[in-house]
This record gives sequence, C-alpha cells and structure tokens, in this order.
Amino acid sequence: MRSKFSSPFVAVFQTEVLFNLKRVVPYALVFIFSANALLWWGWGPAVARGWAVNSDFYIVWLLGGFSFMTMPLFIALMMGDPVIRDFRIGVDPLIFSKPVSRAEYLLGKFFGNFFVLVCCQVCFVLTPMLLQAFSTKGMVVLSPRVLPYFQHFLFFIVISSLAPAAVFFTVGTLTRNVKIVYGLATSFYPLYIAWQLAMKGLPWRWRIALDPLLFNVGADSWQGRSADWLNQLIVSYDGVMIANRVLMIAVALVCLAILYFRFSSAERAGISAEQNRTSIPDRTPRTERLYNDAENFSSEQSIQVAEAVASKHIALPPVNIITQGWRANLEQFIAALGVEFRLLRAERSLVVVAPLIMFMCGLELAAYEIVPEVSYSATYAGRTANTLLLFLFGIAVFYSGETMHRDSELRIEPVLWSVPAPNPVFLLSKFSATLLLSLSMMLLVAVTAISLQIYRGHAPLELQTYLKTYAVILVPGVVFMVAASTALNILLRDKYLTYAVSLAIAGALYYSTGQGYNNRLYNPVLYRLWTPAELVNGSSHLTRLLVHRIYCLALSALLLALALLFHKRKSTRGLAPQGRLTGTGWTILIGTVSVLVAIITGLIVSDAA
Amino acid sequence: MLEIRELKKTYASGVQALKGISLEVCAGVFGLLGPNGAGKTTLMKILATLLEPDSGEIAVNGVDFIGQKMAARRMLGYLPQEFGLYPTLTAEQTLQYFAKLKGVADGKERARLIDALLERVNLSNARKQSVGGFSGGMRQRLGIAQALIGQPRLIIVDEPTAGLDPEERNRFHNLLSEIAGENTVVLLSTHIVSDVSTLCGQMAIIRHGEIIAFCTPQAALAQIANVVWETTVLREKVSILRSRFKVVSTQMFEGQVCVRVFSPNGRPGEEFSPVIPTLEDYYLNLVSQLESVN
Repeated sequence: MRSKFSSPFVAVFQTEVLFNLKRVVPYALVFIFSANALLWWGWGPAVARGWAVNSDFYIVWLLGGFSFMTMPLFIALMMGDPVIRDFRIGVDPLIFSKPVSRAEYLLGKFFGNFFVLVCCQVCFVLTPMLLQAFSTKGMVVLSPRVLPYFQHFLFFIVISSLAPAAVFFTVGTLTRNVKIVYGLATSFYPLYIAWQLAMKGLPWRWRIALDPLLFNVGADSWQGRSADWLNQLIVSYDGVMIANRVLMIAVALVCLAILYFRFSSAERAGISAEQNRTSIPDRTPRTERLYNDAENFSSEQSIQVAEAVASKHIALPPVNIITQGWRANLEQFIAALGVEFRLLRAERSLVVVAPLIMFMCGLELAAYEIVPEVSYSATYAGRTANTLLLFLFGIAVFYSGETMHRDSELRIEPVLWSVPAPNPVFLLSKFSATLLLSLSMMLLVAVTAISLQIYRGHAPLELQTYLKTYAVILVPGVVFMVAASTALNILLRDKYLTYAVSLAIAGALYYSTGQGYNNRLYNPVLYRLWTPAELVNGSSHLTRLLVHRIYCLALSALLLALALLFHKRKSTRGLAPQGRLTGTGWTILIGTVSVLVAIITGLIVSDAA
Repeated sequence: MLEIRELKKTYASGVQALKGISLEVCAGVFGLLGPNGAGKTTLMKILATLLEPDSGEIAVNGVDFIGQKMAARRMLGYLPQEFGLYPTLTAEQTLQYFAKLKGVADGKERARLIDALLERVNLSNARKQSVGGFSGGMRQRLGIAQALIGQPRLIIVDEPTAGLDPEERNRFHNLLSEIAGENTVVLLSTHIVSDVSTLCGQMAIIRHGEIIAFCTPQAALAQIANVVWETTVLREKVSILRSRFKVVSTQMFEGQVCVRVFSPNGRPGEEFSPVIPTLEDYYLNLVSQLESVN
C-alpha cells in the first residue's frame, strides 16, 4: 500500500519546493520582503505618529500596504509558470506517462509553489516580529507578541494571495503563456482602483465584503483616532470579514476546479509539441559508449535509401560578403531588428495586453470629468501618459526579458553567435524591438485618446501637444526603462531574477516618492514630477524638462554600454589593437561620455530644483 | 587547413575538458569520434568562437581563431549539437536572416543563394512553412543550410545525425560529403561510428579531453584486421567468456548473447568465427590498451 507521504501529490509538491530552493527568485523575494518590512519598521509612519510598531493596528495596517504593493506581480512571478515550465523543458511526457492523476499533478504544482510563496511572504512579518527586541528613538514598542503576526498574516495575506495565485496559475496553465499572466498582474492595479471607485457609493460593510485585499478594514472606524487608542486596539474579525475570506477561498477553489476540468496534458490541436515548446530536435538517449548501428542499418538498405533520396548537386552561387563597416553593420542591425520585432508581434499575450492598455487608458479619460488645466489636449495627453507609464514599465520589464532570453531558451544562440555580426547588432536590435513595441503601444493610446477627445467634442484638438507630451515625457522614460531592463538581464543573467529586481527597484522608487523623496535625479521617468503646464507654457520649465530628459537618455546610454561590456559573447581582446578602437573600446568611450553628460545635466537639474 | 595547438580548457567546476589537444586537419571531412563527455562539444564550441580556451592556439588558413574572433566568424559555418530556430519564421525567412547577418548584402544575390540552399537541402517545397512545424530532419537540413552561407572555410557539425531516421541520416551524409571541397574543412563531431567510417577521410578519437588516436578510418581498421572474433552463447555463459577472453562487446541477439572478443593469436575457440572489425572494436581495443597501461 502506498504511503501518504509517497503519493504523487507529495512528490510533485516536494519537487516544486526543491526546485524553487535552487532558484534565485525566492531568495530575492525574501530579501525584498524583509528589506521592505525593515523600512516600514524604522522609517515608516509609526514613529512620527506615535503608533506602536508591534500593535495589532500597525500589523494590520502594514499587511494591507504589503498586499497592495507587492501582491499581484510577485504572485504572478511565482505562480504563472510552474506547469508551463514542464512543457518548456520537455519533461511533460515523462511526467504524464506516470500514474499521476490530473488533480495530484495540478494540486502538487499549485501548493508546492504557493507554499514557497507563503514562506517568502512570511519574512515580511518575521522581520518586524524579531525587531520587537530593538527600538529607535521615539519608537513605541508594546510588550513582545508573536501570535498576532501569524494570525493576521494568515488572515490578510495568505488568504488574499490564494485567489490571485489560483487565478494566475489557472490562466498560465491553460494558456501556457506566462506573459498573459504578467499582463493580468500588471492590470491588477488599475482594475483594483477602478473596483474601489465603483464601490464608493456602497455601505462600508459591502465595501469590506467585496474587497479582495481587505484594504478597507477599519477605514470607517479607525480614522482620526489617537495613537493611544490605536495602540490598544485588538483587531478581531467580524462576520463580514470572515465572509470575505470565505469568498476568496471559494474563488480560488472555483479557479482550480475550472483548471481541473479544462487542463489537458495532450498536445494542442494544430500545434506540434516542438512548436509549442521550442524547435529543438528530439534526441534519442545516448549511451556512454560509441554507437555503431551497422546492424540496424545494413549497407543494402543504405544503398536503397541513398538512391531514393540522392540529392542533386546544386552549386551554390558565389556571393559578395560584406561584414565590416558601419553600412554592413547597419544592414545586419535592420535584419535583426526586423526579426526581433516580428517575434515580439507574434507574442500571443499582446492580444490581451494591447486592448487592455487601450481600455485602461481610455477608462482614465472616459470615467472622469475632464478639466482642462492648460488645454483639453494637454489634459488628455497628460492623463493617458501617466496611466501608460505603468503599462510601459510592464512592457519594458517583461518583453525585454522575453527578448533577451529568447535566443538562449530556443537554443539558437550558438548559431547566432557564430556569425560575423558584432555584439551591438544583437543587443541593440533586442533593445530597439522592445522600444518599438512600447512606441506602438503609445501610438495606440494616443489614437484612443484623440478619438475620445473628438467624440466628446473637447475642441480644439492640438496634435502637437500630444506629440510634445509623449515625446518629452514618455519616450525618454521608456528608453530608460528598456535600457535598464536590458542591462539587468545581461548583468543578472536570469529572467526571473531580473523581474524580481526590477519590481523591487520600481517598488522602492514608488515608496520613496510616497515618502516625499521625489528628487528628479533618481526619478528618470519623471513620475509625478511634471505637469502639462510646464510642457505647454513656460519656456524655462520646458528647458529644465529637456535637460532632465537628456540626463535620462545619458543614463540609458550608460546602461546600454554596461550591457554591451558584460555581454557574454566576446569578439575581441584589448581595447585598441593596432591603434584602432575595438567594440569594447568604443563601448567604454560611449559609457564615459554618458557618465559625463549625466553628471553635467544632473547638476543643472539639481541646481534648477 | 585547420591547426590546433596545445588547446586546454578547464571549467569553473574543475572539470578538465581539454588537456592540451593538438591537431592538423586538411580539407575534407574530418571525423572527431568520442563518447559523451569526452570533450568534443567543448572543442567544437571553442572552434566556433563561443568559448574561450585557457590556453593554446587555433588557426584556419592562417587566421587566428582565438585572437581575431570576428575574422574567424567570417570563415565559419556552425551547426551545433543542440540548436533551435525561431518557430514562427518560415525556412526562407530564417535563411534570409542568417544571410543578412553573415553579410550577404545584395538582395538578388541573397535570393539566388537561398534558392540554391533550399534546393540543395531539399527544402524548396517547405520554404514558406513555419520552422516550428518541421521534423527533426528538416530542421537539421535547415541548420546545415544556414551553416553553408558565406562560403565558409571551416564547417563544424556537432553530432548532426543523432536522432535522425535512416533516410534523413543518409540524406545528411550525402550533403556533408558534397560540402567538403578543396578549400573547406568539415569537422564532424560524433559518437556514431558509422558516420565516421561512411564520410571521413581522416579521424581522431578523443577521450577524457585527450586525442588518443589520429589516423584514417581504413588505417584504424587495418590495425585490428583478423583479431576480432564472434560467438553467440547463452546469457549464463557470458561471465565465463569474460574470464577467459578479452571481450570487446556483448549484444543480445534472438534471445542469446552475441559476444565479440579480441584474439590477436588466432581463433580463441571452435565456437568463434572471424568478423569484419568496426571502428567501435578499434576504439574499445584502444581504450582497454590505455587502461591496462594506466
């Protein structure tokens, strides 16, 4: 009889946990969550407002913020591709040929990854729990406690994570496309905010009952209370909150049930296994000895086959080969860019992402009253630019990751790297393809915004205002984000680690901005640091903005130079053999110039501020 | 001409993949034979400019393949052991892409070249078909087509026929033998002995990062002529034969075991009959000799 602990479910569960232990992402998440908790403990609002850092109220308050800021993207990172991974690496036939039921496999995968996710998340409460032993000047600390941390973590984080985890896992498994999952995760914020706004008129009970993150808990009764009152508060769960949690668990169960009934381990109709996965030829297992198949493949047979398939000798026509000089390299770049962009356009996730971006940016305009600060066009362009920034960040991070790692995942890298094209051709074509995709999205959103403006009769339509807003605010920001993502992918070598680090950096910048640290020097995308009036009216404001954009572009050039320097493929040795600069020499020169430009423009920007 | 001198490579894990390999290879198909893990792929990757050796020299027609990688890549055609292609591109688009990357700038020349390449590898009818739907053999042929772009002087094919059916394998053999011209070295790395005996004018055997033999297949077989014997016995008797003779290989055949033994001093017993030796026999004999010396 099979022991409970040797069931296929347990085996799949354990393997997922083991697999995750060997990945960098969970450790990166542990670091990010612990660092985040440390920041909230020492530099959050508790000290300034007299809140005890280990009070029930502050724990719940922290968990609310934590779930809102980190939940969708990090959950997508962990839960989006466990099943896709099996199909990608080709282990699926080995697994599905074993006596493993669909439920055992899916549940093992789901809970194995969810367990790892929860283990990472728990660091967010473990850190402040351990920090109870310490305090800084002016910090209020109540008598040490343990249970509330875990109790509230379970209630507010684990259950809140369960439903999105099930949704992402289901979507990823059924579509076998992790980018659709990331698209969903990125759209979580606008959707959640829209949901909150839609519920605004409802009584608090309903708003709490229908809030997937329980973000509104206490919003009606805790506001305006003194620090002492809040420090003594014991947070208990009423019927509405419990109903909410039951609802979330039910959503997760429904998702998993749908997945169970819809999941098929078979090949998709019309798509071969290889096409679905990669285009690597199947290889027969090889022994550790030499192989002579003369027995199986007789000479007579060989002659017959040779006659049947004898290929006619076709002489290859002579061709001129030009691989040196800027013109040849430009042609190689255009060829590579064409292919990279074609491959990006073929991404199935764009079918979801592109309409979603248009819809969300349109919603931003259609759902609210438009008050023209400078002009209608400036307001339309400004609002869509702000919403678009979030999506452009998602595109820069996720599609860059896809583009940068595609060649190695498809194992075409050795073939590509053996051709006489310099490294910048490969790297810049990938960078430019992602940039081009972002610019296409901007164009779609601009067309949507202009159409809405015309439809609502908000004349006059100023196309140059749109152009100015997008070209000055968004384009350099996108260039920076794609360059940063490209550099991170090269430096960190791991797609998922890059995702985690990018999200952490973005989260830290968002946090800093929220805390009032919104200096233009470390906000290259100018998030919340510009107004349509600056662009349209004042010439000195515009000059300052333009200098900042040069600063942003110089940083981008520096990041690309770094990416080129650390690119794994090597073409030359030395910086300037025979008195001529090599690719590495040029890269160092461009990097140095970028640093100088960034320093000069940075000084101008900080002086002006 | 390909010249390799004292090539060494040790991986960060401490595995010494190449222990000072030296070879001089003339134009034609050259077979590099060795079991998995022998160092073949490491050598191929270094030759393809994808991996940096710790020390040593490589030159093709005088061009330094280690110091002048871009110059090397202009002379190179590479078909790796495991490679992929962009599944959404067609065969023609794939070759267009590689031709542009290899510097075939003129559009008309490129079109003519691609037509000829597709014709040569028998993929003309599949030119508009997405590569994702190709069979293993078709992909392999497309792989060799891309390696032929740009009149390469050194063509490296790493385990090209593993996993192919007999028909595809034969087609591939024909292709490789056609490619090798007066000025081109085709370096065929394989662990399939019959590929080497069918195609190669010269061969080397690599084992544990060292070249243990460098000769022609004919010379190798001549060395072991009349010393390989075969018999078929019940499974239980194999251990007895092992204790008495130098057993080269055993293979199941119709429920019994076909045993090949080395016996340089004539027929080892009445039940044995002489057989035509293969390169595998040569290899195993070589290995056992080396092990006995060690």
